[in-house]
Amino acid sequence: MTEPIIKVRDLHKYFGPLHVIQGVDLDVTPGEVVVIIGPSGAGKSTFLRCLNFLEEPSAGTIEVDELEIDAQEPLRRQRHHIRELRKKAGMVFQQFNLFPHMTALENVIEAPLTVKRLSKKEATEKGEELLEWVGLSDKRDEYPSRLSGGQQQRVAIARALCMEPKIMLFDEPTSALDPELIAEVVEVMERLAGEGMTMVVVTHEIHFARDVSDRVILMADGGWAEIAPPEKLFTDPEEERTRQFLAHIL
Amino acid sequence: MSFTDSIPGTHPRAIKLILVLVSITVVLSLLYAVQHYAGGPIRLAVVSRVQSLALSPDNSLIAAPANDGEIYLWNAQEGWSPTRLSGHRRSVVGVAFTPDSKTMISAGRDGQIHLWDVGSRDMKKTIDADAPVNDLSLSADGTVAGAVCEDGRILIIDVASGNVAQSIGPDPNTGLAVAVNRDGTLVAADYGDGIRIWDTQTGDLVRALSSYCEDATSETQDACDAADEDWLGHEDQVTALAFSPDGTLLASGSEDTTIVFWEVETGEVKWPSIGHWASVTSLTFHPDGRSMLSGGEDNKIRTWRIPGGKSTAIFEGHLSGVNGVAFGWGPDMILSGGADGTVRVWETANQKVTFIAWARKGLQPVWGDLLRTWMLVSGLVGLISLWGLWKLRPWGHLLALLLYVVGPIVVVGLPLLEVLIYPLSFIEQLSIAWPLLALLGWYGGIVVALMSQPVALSYEAADTAALSEQLMSSQRTRKVRSAIFIAAVWFLIMVVLYSVLRRFNLDVAFMRHYFSFIMAGAWMTLRISALSIALAVVLALLGALGRLSKNPVANGMSGFYISLIRGTPLLVQIYIWYLGLPRVNIVLPAQVAGTLALGVNYGAYMTEIFRAGIQAIGKGQYEAAEALGMSRTQLYRRIVLPQAFRIVIPPIGNQFIAMMKDSSLVSVMSIWELSYRAQKIGRQNFRSLETFMVAAAFYWILTVVFQFLQGQLEEYMARSERR
Repeated sequence: MTEPIIKVRDLHKYFGPLHVIQGVDLDVTPGEVVVIIGPSGAGKSTFLRCLNFLEEPSAGTIEVDELEIDAQEPLRRQRHHIRELRKKAGMVFQQFNLFPHMTALENVIEAPLTVKRLSKKEATEKGEELLEWVGLSDKRDEYPSRLSGGQQQRVAIARALCMEPKIMLFDEPTSALDPELIAEVVEVMERLAGEGMTMVVVTHEIHFARDVSDRVILMADGGWAEIAPPEKLFTDPEEERTRQFLAHIL
Repeated sequence: MSFTDSIPGTHPRAIKLILVLVSITVVLSLLYAVQHYAGGPIRLAVVSRVQSLALSPDNSLIAAPANDGEIYLWNAQEGWSPTRLSGHRRSVVGVAFTPDSKTMISAGRDGQIHLWDVGSRDMKKTIDADAPVNDLSLSADGTVAGAVCEDGRILIIDVASGNVAQSIGPDPNTGLAVAVNRDGTLVAADYGDGIRIWDTQTGDLVRALSSYCEDATSETQDACDAADEDWLGHEDQVTALAFSPDGTLLASGSEDTTIVFWEVETGEVKWPSIGHWASVTSLTFHPDGRSMLSGGEDNKIRTWRIPGGKSTAIFEGHLSGVNGVAFGWGPDMILSGGADGTVRVWETANQKVTFIAWARKGLQPVWGDLLRTWMLVSGLVGLISLWGLWKLRPWGHLLALLLYVVGPIVVVGLPLLEVLIYPLSFIEQLSIAWPLLALLGWYGGIVVALMSQPVALSYEAADTAALSEQLMSSQRTRKVRSAIFIAAVWFLIMVVLYSVLRRFNLDVAFMRHYFSFIMAGAWMTLRISALSIALAVVLALLGALGRLSKNPVANGMSGFYISLIRGTPLLVQIYIWYLGLPRVNIVLPAQVAGTLALGVNYGAYMTEIFRAGIQAIGKGQYEAAEALGMSRTQLYRRIVLPQAFRIVIPPIGNQFIAMMKDSSLVSVMSIWELSYRAQKIGRQNFRSLETFMVAAAFYWILTVVFQFLQGQLEEYMARSERR
């Protein structure tokens, strides 16, 4: 068994008195694709956002690629560690969050230029390569406002990949898309999975979960309800909670 | 077949619009023609420009030389149909009578000087000047005439013998105006912006009256040395000259609009004065030497009191420049001739015209004939074409188009050309309003007709491709049309504003005189505003970041800054900067203090703008940047502030425009910007309204320019949002 690339231990998150994540553990091995599904309000997105500290966990430890951060310590003092962790973890948002004042290519190479301090030439080469990979090399000089939702999300994926992350976090990447645009984004994610990227995906896209993932987690009420390979979870779930949820969506 | 059925979609409305507009113009044309036949106020005729004016000393004859080479003569006592003296081949520039009224002398641009026998109207003698003559003057005793030629020669003519007695020059500096004194011993001529006086017997230079002593040559040095340093001369080309009857005074008028009275003996300025609102064209002393007349390019005649050199009355009425003035045969009467082709008789008591005579060949106003005929014909043809349009005959449309394109150019365009050369006078002329109205309706009709042409012509074969093409172009035309209407509204408001401003009775010559002086302040205004806004942007950025910061020190500082600065008036702050800093031994140049005061003040207001701009950036942008590993600084520098700036550019532009006007407050620091200059000159001369009007115009111009630039900038900034 290879050493896990993501290790989460006893993660808690409170929003005021609200106990949103109630002490979960997770190990993800390199190259593994983990899909988190569950009813809304279960804390899926919060969990994912805790992984790269967009939400500050209330307690617990998170380790990504041998960089461990203990949420018990004051996070202000660990902010350099957090930045290091974020460089290892690319994130794709539901609302794409492209920078509207930059072209597609500028969006992609922004972080390599400012954070990694690559040369303009290097970054541009890499950025063009990635845009090509997501199938948008002809849109390199377009501003996001001129791109469709699917195209924007693919640029966002390229933007995250351009930092050469060790893992990729997807926060409902297809939820804001028109149905006919979902396929193009899912296709890119499938290729990414095929190339061996470690991915944690929060999604409602059952097809993606069933076809691509190695493990599916059903999250409910701030904890794991069931963790199982997709073929088992979707056909023969063990927990009553899982059956309820599946009955709801299928 | 009714046309509304045959054309699909929106077409009937377009055609109806054309029909309405065409009908309006037809009605206007017919009204115009009828009014004209009824002897309405419009009198447009081919008239000649009157170049000068003279009344024979026995008061029997008025002579008005004109640019068509004719000298128009009116019998002053009997009638107002002119007789003509033909002899010159080109424009006649001057005419004068000898005291016995038996001989008349005239000079023209054809280089000829003619002596005429007044009784028989015969040409007695011709003198060839060899070059176009620009001005002519006859001594009051009628013995000696002076003529100045374009090549800079001054010819002295012995009137009795009709020979050239003396030729002075040529000199390239002279050639526009000439005057001979009473007994014909001295001749004065323009010399650039100065004047020189020669002895007619010997041709020697007697005196040089010059504004600039550094220009003096060795021969004028003495006169220049003798000159008082403080005197005022002309600043531009001298254009008119006249000796007073007793020979002690010389009056000169100039392109710089001023009139100066010189003492002939000493060559010193006796009375300088602001003369006309434009170049002075003619000067005439009354024989008793107690008053003088002047005419100008501003279409006005002024009377002057001697001594004193003060203007006593203004006569307005000519439609263009007044080229000749003369005292009439009665004590309260003056005569004038102008480039509008009229000779007018004025009553000095009430400054009204009592009679107008036209310098024109023949008795009928030629243009009036053509005009009314055309108007009648075009009205009738218009009716026919309307009928053709209504019945959907293609020739009806073509006829209408032809009529409405060619008609106005011929009918209104040509007379308008005459009038438009003098734009100040043309608004005053109500008689012009009719053709103007017709013109507006006409061209409005053409614009609409041409734009709707594809729509209107498609009634025969309307296929869908052409239809969609039409829809595309109709969107364009709607834009153009609304732009035309907006421009028309602006124009109309400006006309109204202009007519209101005229009621202020502003001293335009004064405004013109100090125009460039005040304009120099525009640069200072611009510089102070630009520097202040730059400072304000920096302060506002810091203030906004402080306001948004969780750091209590930064937050408190910026909160206090905003509260204090917004809580006190700008003028008070300016005084505090100006008066307070020196108390702590910080003496800043006024401009620096002014810039600081404005910048600090606007910075406080703009802090809120910047804060709103920054807060308008969504949380997702922060998260995306953070997730990519950006530091706080990188996030603000690369992601948040560039976007916030784009949001705040329009309000900053507004602030800048407001700032340009608020910068007038720093005039209390004696900074030489627009307002301070206007205030200073206005107070000195008791003409504050005039100078502030000039300043206001500059502020407006600056604002308009910056609004345009701001629009361009916004468009550029919005490029990432264009779809």
